[in-house]
Amino acid sequence: MRLFISTLSKLRGRLATWLTLGLLILLLTLIYLAVGATAKQAAAQPNGRAVLELLTFPGAYALILSFILGLGGLFVMAYAAAIAGSEWQWGTLKTSVARGESRSRYMLTTYAGIAALAAIGLLIAFAIGVIVTFLAAKLAGVSTDGITDTAIFGNLPEQFGRGWLGLIEVGAIGFTIATLARSQLAGVGAGIGIYFAESFAGLFLPDFIKYFPFNAATAIIATNSNAGGGRALARLDPNTALIVVLIWLVGSLVVTAVFTERAEISG
Amino acid sequence: MITTDGLALATHGLKKRYGSRVALAGLDLTVPSGVVYGFLGPNGAGKTTTMRLLTGLIHPDGGTIELLGRPFGRRDRRRLFEVGALIESPAFYPYLSGRANLAALAASGAPTPRKRVEAVLELVGLRDRGGDKVANYSLGMKQRLGIAGALLNDPKLLLLDEPANGLDPAGIVAMRDTLRNLASAGKTVFISSHLLGEVSQLADVIGIIAAGKLVREGPIERLLSGEGRVRVRVAAEEVAGAVSALAPFGLAVRVDRSDKGRAGEPATEGGWLEVPIEPSRAAEVNRTLAAAGIYASGLESGSDLESLFLELTAAEPAVGSEGQIQALPGDWQ
Repeated sequence: MRLFISTLSKLRGRLATWLTLGLLILLLTLIYLAVGATAKQAAAQPNGRAVLELLTFPGAYALILSFILGLGGLFVMAYAAAIAGSEWQWGTLKTSVARGESRSRYMLTTYAGIAALAAIGLLIAFAIGVIVTFLAAKLAGVSTDGITDTAIFGNLPEQFGRGWLGLIEVGAIGFTIATLARSQLAGVGAGIGIYFAESFAGLFLPDFIKYFPFNAATAIIATNSNAGGGRALARLDPNTALIVVLIWLVGSLVVTAVFTERAEISG
Repeated sequence: MITTDGLALATHGLKKRYGSRVALAGLDLTVPSGVVYGFLGPNGAGKTTTMRLLTGLIHPDGGTIELLGRPFGRRDRRRLFEVGALIESPAFYPYLSGRANLAALAASGAPTPRKRVEAVLELVGLRDRGGDKVANYSLGMKQRLGIAGALLNDPKLLLLDEPANGLDPAGIVAMRDTLRNLASAGKTVFISSHLLGEVSQLADVIGIIAAGKLVREGPIERLLSGEGRVRVRVAAEEVAGAVSALAPFGLAVRVDRSDKGRAGEPATEGGWLEVPIEPSRAAEVNRTLAAAGIYASGLESGSDLESLFLELTAAEPAVGSEGQIQALPGDWQ
């Protein structure tokens, strides 16, 4: 427990933690406000009604989560990769191992800290997302009556749980890549590469790519629309996506633990 | 497995290979408890590899390690709870303060009370700067913080890799006092270094490694006297006569003071001649020369660590050893 608390304390003091969250919120705000400002014109276009779904409660709740999962997933992946890579590059893992700390426990606890912060970040981003969507809906002249739809609130904890799993799954991929490469840059770069490669490859091999980390993560939340950045092509159903996400998550962390236990630590 | 009582650290036939390159070729170390042990060797000799093996960062290809009298293997990480280590350069989170870094370190490995953080900061003279970010520390301050980190768990065995790196003269003196005090308190301090001057002032026992093997080990005073030489200085025209007169003592060799690494070369010019006999027989050498009508203009006996080190490591190829070694003594005068 002391290691976990210490990890949280270390992550809290790191600029990248606040930068990642701030950037996500900034982009979320800008995009939603831009959608709100242009929604009327967009709605007049063919298939433009989907844009209004972004701003219409209670369906907007799931779309905000889906948006956070899509862009936030990329950010969490880069963040987790930076944290894992720095443990190797700065030699801080080495120092703890030389004190008798368990290698795998250290790395997994570090990831548990990232997962905890991801949960907090998700809640903050979601709360701000709701406020921003409300403002954007007002800008667009869309009714906000559904914001107090009590039926959706009962479903929110499960959606949050799923969203959080989706985030920490892609985070775990970045964390593992950086561990294998022992490099922040390699982890961040590979993570971004996977994100765009998945998006691109999904156009050609949708039935295959839908099982990949980012696609599975964004499919984990049930939405009735593709307006929130969800992929319009083949998509896993949320329950299958949940299983796939768990496999990726556990698999990544097992690889991290095994690699770290067996690694020769130098430099 | 046989354990060795009374030893803080022992290795038996320790081997490590990186690809085709042999880093350690059967290292046998014997480090008694309660001493300062100087682990010397030229660059590339295997010192850092040894330190990594002793702290479980890498694993041996062969041989065994005993830490504090008990075997140390892959599954014995808890044995390190009684060991403090500074391996290579000190490693910290640059965005955290020195104090926060030590607190974070205290949360891993050996259970460590938080009050130890302040105690070790005080010990290394960083208490006033403990709140500053490590990114703003000088090299010497980072080194002090690294030593503080190694002392955090009040270890019985302290493993320090080049602890004087970056320290100013006052810092070196303070570090030396701290380490001597630790040894006086019964703790064992194992220092890996190629800084001979510092080690000769600090160590009770030394081990010299070259090309992955221990080439000499023992109490420093005994090694220097046991490895002793008698050196005499004669005029250039008397060198041949002196060599002939001293032949019964063994081959007298010329010592070029500007290049001690060439000891072993037959005497051909004037200057210092080195005779391989016990220092206690220095008067005998002088008497023999005088009997031959040659009067020495200088006479020295015994050995010094630098001569011993160069003699033992000169034959072993090590990357960049010559340049490194010859450049160092001036740093410590």
